[in-house]
Amino acid sequence: MRTPLSSAPSGNAKTDAAWSASIRLFHWLVAALIFIQFALGWLAVGWALSPTKINLFVWHKSVGMLILALVVARLLNRLARLTPPLPADTPAWERAAARWSHTLLYVLMVAMPLTGWAINSAAGIPFRIFWQLPLPALMAPDKHTADIVALVHFALGIAFVALLILHIGAALRHHFVKRNDVLRRMLPSRRLVK
Amino acid sequence: MKSLACLLAVLACSAPGFSLAAEWKMDPANSRLEFTATFEKTPAPGLFKEFDTRLDFDPAKPAGGRLDVTIRVASADMASADINKAIAGAEWFDFVRHQQAEFHSTDIRQAPAQAGSYVARGVLTLKGVQQPVEVPFRWSEAADGVMMQGEFTVKRSPFGIGTGEWTATDVIGPEVAVKFRVRLRKAS
Repeated sequence: MRTPLSSAPSGNAKTDAAWSASIRLFHWLVAALIFIQFALGWLAVGWALSPTKINLFVWHKSVGMLILALVVARLLNRLARLTPPLPADTPAWERAAARWSHTLLYVLMVAMPLTGWAINSAAGIPFRIFWQLPLPALMAPDKHTADIVALVHFALGIAFVALLILHIGAALRHHFVKRNDVLRRMLPSRRLVK
Repeated sequence: MKSLACLLAVLACSAPGFSLAAEWKMDPANSRLEFTATFEKTPAPGLFKEFDTRLDFDPAKPAGGRLDVTIRVASADMASADINKAIAGAEWFDFVRHQQAEFHSTDIRQAPAQAGSYVARGVLTLKGVQQPVEVPFRWSEAADGVMMQGEFTVKRSPFGIGTGEWTATDVIGPEVAVKFRVRLRKAS
């Protein structure tokens, strides 16, 4: 059971309160999309100029726009709901680290598609999401801007990889070192705990 | 007296407005040759910056006319350094081996039911391939010359423009629209 942010958490806000099924589905869906996205981006950039390269880019851009839509929806959803609390014995520095790393993950999940969108606009490349829906340009074509935003996109990508390593490492630490419920309550197999 | 009549006849024949086949030369500064390919079903425009048109043509008697166009293929510009580099390659225009494209008409005739419109049939040589092409054009006279303009479509595959993986037409479409606006002056 979720409680709205406005009201105080009731007695059910135990340390083992799980994420709802829809949030867990969202987490693993976006996680999978992000890994696919890194693979597509990596392949598309390295591929020799050919229809395959262009199609890889269309997939990369389309998946990026899909992630952007999902993350924006999730952010709106998150504003209206409480997140399951961390275990009571979690030290303050870990709570701060969790809050900051999760905020940064959201920032990057929005910034990556937005900078990608900007590159596509500045490069003046016509693009339809999944070959269907035309994406309007954010700015007029300009080679210099495209080069700069591409660099930003790449740098953010590296920061994202570092943050994902931290995120996965922290989850594994909760599970194998601290032996608490933090990872398990996000796993898809886990039944929703009251 | 007889010689005067002859002189008058010559003068009359050379007077403006008297239709006779004339040699026309292109004014490059006021002429454009554009082409539009498609990328992901969206127009991808370009132009040939250097080309020349020579015309031997009488609008009243188009049948005897002749149209010759030469295009420096390497002057193609698609307004993007990356694309310009790509189209220079062997899979596309192959600038190194095929520097010039040519059109030579074999026959010019009036377009049916359209005053001032004509069709030049001929052969286009591009990337070493010859293909029959019909070039429709409108002819409009102005004080200081003539404007000749028209557009037509060619398929890229017969010319081998876009080989290998590019033969597929899902990313780069099969047809290219060609549009020209040529300013002509009478050759003296």
